[in-house]
Amino acid sequence: MNEDAQVAMKKRIQRLVYIAAGGKIREEDLGSGETDLRTIGLDSLGYLNLLEGLERTFGVAIDLDQEEDHSFLHTIDNIVRYVVAQRGEAA
Amino acid sequence: MSEARALWEAMAGCVDRHRGRVAVVGSAEALSYEELGRRIREASGLLRAAPHVGFCLGNRPEYVILYFATLAAGHLPLLLDASFNTGEIEAIRDDCGLDALVLERAKAEALDLPGKVEPLPFDDNVVILPLARRGEPSYEARPTTEVCRFTSGTTGRPKCLEFSGHAVVSAARNWVLGTGMTGDDRTLCLAALSNGLAFNTSLLSTFLAGGELHFLKGAPLTRPVARRIAESGITRLIAFPTLYRNLTAPGGPDPSLLAGLRHAISAGAPLWPDVREEFRTLYGLDVSDYYGIAETGPVTFERDASHHAGLGQPLPGAEIRIAPGPGDEPGAGEVLVRTASMASGYLNHPGLFEARVDAEGFYHSGDRGRIVDGRLHLVGRTQDHINVAGRKIDPTEIVAVVSALAGVTDAVAFPDEDLNREALVHLVVVAASGELTRAAVAEACRSRLASYKVPGRISFVQEIPRTGVGKPRLAMLREQLNAKGSAA
Repeated sequence: MNEDAQVAMKKRIQRLVYIAAGGKIREEDLGSGETDLRTIGLDSLGYLNLLEGLERTFGVAIDLDQEEDHSFLHTIDNIVRYVVAQRGEAA
Repeated sequence: MSEARALWEAMAGCVDRHRGRVAVVGSAEALSYEELGRRIREASGLLRAAPHVGFCLGNRPEYVILYFATLAAGHLPLLLDASFNTGEIEAIRDDCGLDALVLERAKAEALDLPGKVEPLPFDDNVVILPLARRGEPSYEARPTTEVCRFTSGTTGRPKCLEFSGHAVVSAARNWVLGTGMTGDDRTLCLAALSNGLAFNTSLLSTFLAGGELHFLKGAPLTRPVARRIAESGITRLIAFPTLYRNLTAPGGPDPSLLAGLRHAISAGAPLWPDVREEFRTLYGLDVSDYYGIAETGPVTFERDASHHAGLGQPLPGAEIRIAPGPGDEPGAGEVLVRTASMASGYLNHPGLFEARVDAEGFYHSGDRGRIVDGRLHLVGRTQDHINVAGRKIDPTEIVAVVSALAGVTDAVAFPDEDLNREALVHLVVVAASGELTRAAVAEACRSRLASYKVPGRISFVQEIPRTGVGKPRLAMLREQLNAKGSAA
């Protein structure tokens, strides 16, 4: 995946997180891809909405029970890396 | 130890009566009533040294096994919210007595509670954590109490509701009777079993009817839920408004997957009318109306699928009275409820429940409503608690946490909505210096409160408008915040 495509994907995921959180997270707080989303207000309901959004937008079905380590969902950058890997795209 | 055994006797009867039928279905296996009975007996031995067993666990077959194993041992199950933190669990231990906790291994590791966990022989992910008591509990359960559930309390002390076995069995029987549940019903329960609706509509009622109780492993996303409904022939879905909204959002699952569903029941919070309408259009099924109160159990249910107004008619064993008060419109008033499934009282708040029950045994709900065509219609609430996803939160608890922070001179918490129309707690803070950040306030709340009580929105203002007696003027505050938001 080229750099432009990755930047575009990051923006889409930032938007998905914002929508999933119902506006409880301010868009400016999502600027850094390394911020732990749990510390800025993404709660369990927000994560549920985010997983729905990732599946519908990117066709990535995430089964949390199959993944021992959930840190791939903790930051925007981690989510981007996970989605890229799941879609079989070269980073 | 509980002296009454009505609940276990009812369940033991179910195990005998429906021996060959399927009782519980998880993601890995299906248990017949006979196998369920065998595992309950096996597990009851594990809990011999624990008169009070706390359940701090998500929905799974092991919840059912250990819950009934506790009852079979003649012990008292206390159904905690799975998100309770160390402080809340310790408060329950001190108030009510807790000798062991049933929880997932990861949760046991995350809590700051000493003790060596014991794995279950039939599931390595669920463990029993023995707890040492710190002296005698402050309160002793009534001899008739067979199960305890919790509502939000103040200052990190959840309020413990006591229920007799007869009350729980009555709630389950009346739900079976009032909703026409049969042995052919397969219930997929996605609402937490510690929640009153799931507890009363799924846990015992399914087994009294000889039906199947299904659990979904993993997050309740629409596609796995729809697949499970289709593959397992689910007839009843017990879920929460967010799932129904997601099922109706664009790009949702194929509606034909839900074709076998006969009842869709929404729990926890009011369902948005447009979601109800959209669900009906997409899936050809009404999301059932229902009204229940933690202290009284289920109250109403709409039996007539073509009737779309109100919250349904009283269930068998439930009576409603409307008590008009000053300021109520004609026909409206406080909703008073008397059921066969009332709680006995609050274990750790003696007199609190009793003060809300009148001489004729009617519980004063704090909700305001009216009866139209035999159906209950709610028109408002008089209570001060905030309902977030079916969990009642006392705003004073949050204000107490934030008020203890250096530099905070005033604070108020009140119900608000996010952009997805989900209820949230809005905390407004007045800080003496400009150094206090949202992140610091959120972190203070996260470290002291269960996750669902952490405010979804935090705002800073110069001053909170208050009345002469110090009550916050919320309407004025909301206006100020809205003006500030649109100016930003």
